[in-house]
Amino acid sequence: MHMDFEREIYLDHAAATPLDARVREAMEPFLIERFFNPSAPYAPAWETRHTFEAARADLAHAIGAKPAEVIITAGATESVNLAFGVLQAAQTHVITTTIEHSAVMACAKAYPHTLVPVNHHGLVDPADVRAAITPDTRLVSIGLANNEIGTVQPLRAISEVVNNVRQERLLAGNTTPLYLHSDASQCAGQLDVNVSTLGVDMLTLNAAKIYGPKQVGLLWVARGVQLMPLVLGGGQERGLRSGTENVAGAVGFAKALQIVVEGRKDEAARLIQLRKSLQRQLTEAFPDAVVSGHKKHCLPGLLHISFPGLDAERLVYLLESEGVYVATGAACAANKATRSHVLEAIGLPPEVADGSLRLTLGRLSTEENTARAAEIITRVVRDEYARINPSRPLSDSGVE
Amino acid sequence: MNEVPKVLVGMSGGVDSSVAAALLVEAGYDVTGAYMKNWTLDVPGMQCPWAEDLAYAKRTAVKLGIDLRVYDFQDAYKHDVVDYLVREYEAGRTPNPDIMCNQDVKFGLFLETALAEGFDYIATGHYASCSAVLTNSGQVDAAVASDTSSSSCKASSLREVRGSEEDSATCRSAVRPAGSCASLPHAFEKIASQSEEEGVQTVASPSSATLGYDNSFTDSSTTCDSPQLLRAVDAHKDQTYFLYRMGQAALARTLFPLGEFTKQQVREMAEARGLPAANKPDSQGICFIGEAPIQDFLRMYVQPNPGKIIDVDTHEVVGAHDGALFFTLGQRKGLGVGGGQPYYVVGKDMAANEVYVSHNPQAAALQTTELQLENCTWLAGEAPQEGSYLVRTRHTGPLVEAHFTPQATAQASLAFTQPQERVAPGQSAVLYSGDICLGGGIVS
Repeated sequence: MHMDFEREIYLDHAAATPLDARVREAMEPFLIERFFNPSAPYAPAWETRHTFEAARADLAHAIGAKPAEVIITAGATESVNLAFGVLQAAQTHVITTTIEHSAVMACAKAYPHTLVPVNHHGLVDPADVRAAITPDTRLVSIGLANNEIGTVQPLRAISEVVNNVRQERLLAGNTTPLYLHSDASQCAGQLDVNVSTLGVDMLTLNAAKIYGPKQVGLLWVARGVQLMPLVLGGGQERGLRSGTENVAGAVGFAKALQIVVEGRKDEAARLIQLRKSLQRQLTEAFPDAVVSGHKKHCLPGLLHISFPGLDAERLVYLLESEGVYVATGAACAANKATRSHVLEAIGLPPEVADGSLRLTLGRLSTEENTARAAEIITRVVRDEYARINPSRPLSDSGVE
Repeated sequence: MNEVPKVLVGMSGGVDSSVAAALLVEAGYDVTGAYMKNWTLDVPGMQCPWAEDLAYAKRTAVKLGIDLRVYDFQDAYKHDVVDYLVREYEAGRTPNPDIMCNQDVKFGLFLETALAEGFDYIATGHYASCSAVLTNSGQVDAAVASDTSSSSCKASSLREVRGSEEDSATCRSAVRPAGSCASLPHAFEKIASQSEEEGVQTVASPSSATLGYDNSFTDSSTTCDSPQLLRAVDAHKDQTYFLYRMGQAALARTLFPLGEFTKQQVREMAEARGLPAANKPDSQGICFIGEAPIQDFLRMYVQPNPGKIIDVDTHEVVGAHDGALFFTLGQRKGLGVGGGQPYYVVGKDMAANEVYVSHNPQAAALQTTELQLENCTWLAGEAPQEGSYLVRTRHTGPLVEAHFTPQATAQASLAFTQPQERVAPGQSAVLYSGDICLGGGIVS
């Protein structure tokens, strides 16, 4: 099924993004005539190796890192799994938050772990992270921006906490390493993902969220961090994840990252305006609607809004029939038909959480189609309120 | 009874239950959908696609403008169906989990839940029909199980004699309630006819006459009694074999909207209505383990127990197995005895953990002229009289003649006129009188 960009409105950029034409152009030769295995000895193959390494250098450059510190993976989930390799030790412990993406959550649960709570805006308190660190803690993994409600964490302050503990350990003669990892998959197109600014030891990024190809990601690893091989084989990527290099994917990822980093400030400003107008239209139509996430520390293009008493899944299907594509929280959680752990963690009551839509704007969003989406959502939500409760009309402002 | 009858229709997300729900909505019932979350085994590489099924069910409910409730029956399902299944296999029998699921979950817990929540009926997308016997019509004896009533039933199919009240002694009812078809309130008729005037799409099918309410069944002078379970019009899809243990009380509270239709018609109706499941493939296999063979499932619960496979004709050991319980009478595939002529399982000794095989598909052990039944249950409430009936020993298997003799303590015996393939203990034998499913028992 093709998308008709004139009629249909895509409001799920946090789930997937369309491939940028420039990215596709950069990738194409490596899918067709430059198909060589970078490990092969003859000149054309050797050339693809250089291209692959150049892509790695471009990726590193875009996040203020060195090429040797970048491991190219098959997506963010794999990057996270690789990062959690630092936990393989007899005495071990990991800290993450109650609102992490399931990739991080599932990895953390494989080890002794502590989940640090968040406040009702979804913000982590660095003091809580400090309090959760034990002598065995080897890893703190906190997503830069939450994929469901968009809250951006004070990573710099958490980094200081981690640094302080490292100093204390050294003074006490404790040589257990402690690292800070952040999954910034949602962020590269909208926030600063410079590794020095963030103060992390490991960073996960994903091409699929930034108009690049799917199944390509990276893990940036600061020098000195000891990882464990995740996929055994021919020893590619420093032996950490074997398998013939995805040259086209890496080239596409590098191009996509370069484009979004260059255009980040303008695009972020544009998305903030669009989100504000979408939020204004919906909250004016439905004064009872609940907007979640931090007002200021939030992904520019993400609006998480709940319509109390409604079933969000029904809204998704109704909107779909109008050509508007939205998410109910994280795609994975929706498939499992379970309530979102993120919304539970921020204390959203079930009857509010169940009526939650995650609307994520991006390159396909325009002023025109965002306004049109607001109108359609308003109509569908109003009809659905009327269907479940025909006797009680909506409160004054909800009715034209 | 609510003014407009309230129906809770089980929606699995598949095409059958989707169309069943659509037909009920079009007939004017107050319809609510229900997704039953039954026990599923979530292990890597072996997942029942229940989340996808639920999404289909919900999409369909949204399309029809009805609510969908999700019921978590996992505990009951695990206890009544899965544990039973494992226990029976361990005892060397070959149980039928679908029959138990219908008895205990769909027409047990689900029905109870629906009634407790104020619904008048449940409905499912099974291929079967209910009949209502109009006792005051003076034309039919409610004492069922006779060839006479079965033939009158057939003659009165509404497809043939719509509105011909005199002939409609026993009527197949698609979306018409069986147990209380005569008591539909006048007010409701009005609503139904109004909605038709308003251009609500009515069923476009050869059997449209069976849908909705017509006056012939709202005459207060007739009352209903002893609903009967009838075979579906589509002989290839008829599911009465799975329903024989549902019980009469459940039957009186159940609507089977699809009994009058063929699968082909159901697919076409789904297509015509743009239902999400119109092109969804039918689910195969046992619901809670998806497509996985039952042996794979059992191996997760039962320790392997190596034993011998013995050729009964030569008394030679011809192979080894990892547990006699994994084998069933008549089984040909999966014996792991390769080469040459195929072997058939002709018996097993659970105590000795031995499986007996033969090259001869006509082996005496695979044939029988008699079956002993236990744990019998009858839809009329009591066993049919001794006599000759049609019997089916597997889903859509041939209907063969047998002499039935009821015995005490819910037992019975069957004597076949012609030798039959032997039926593994634990399977069900179901009795029919013409189109009427009478009930049956479990082969002991």
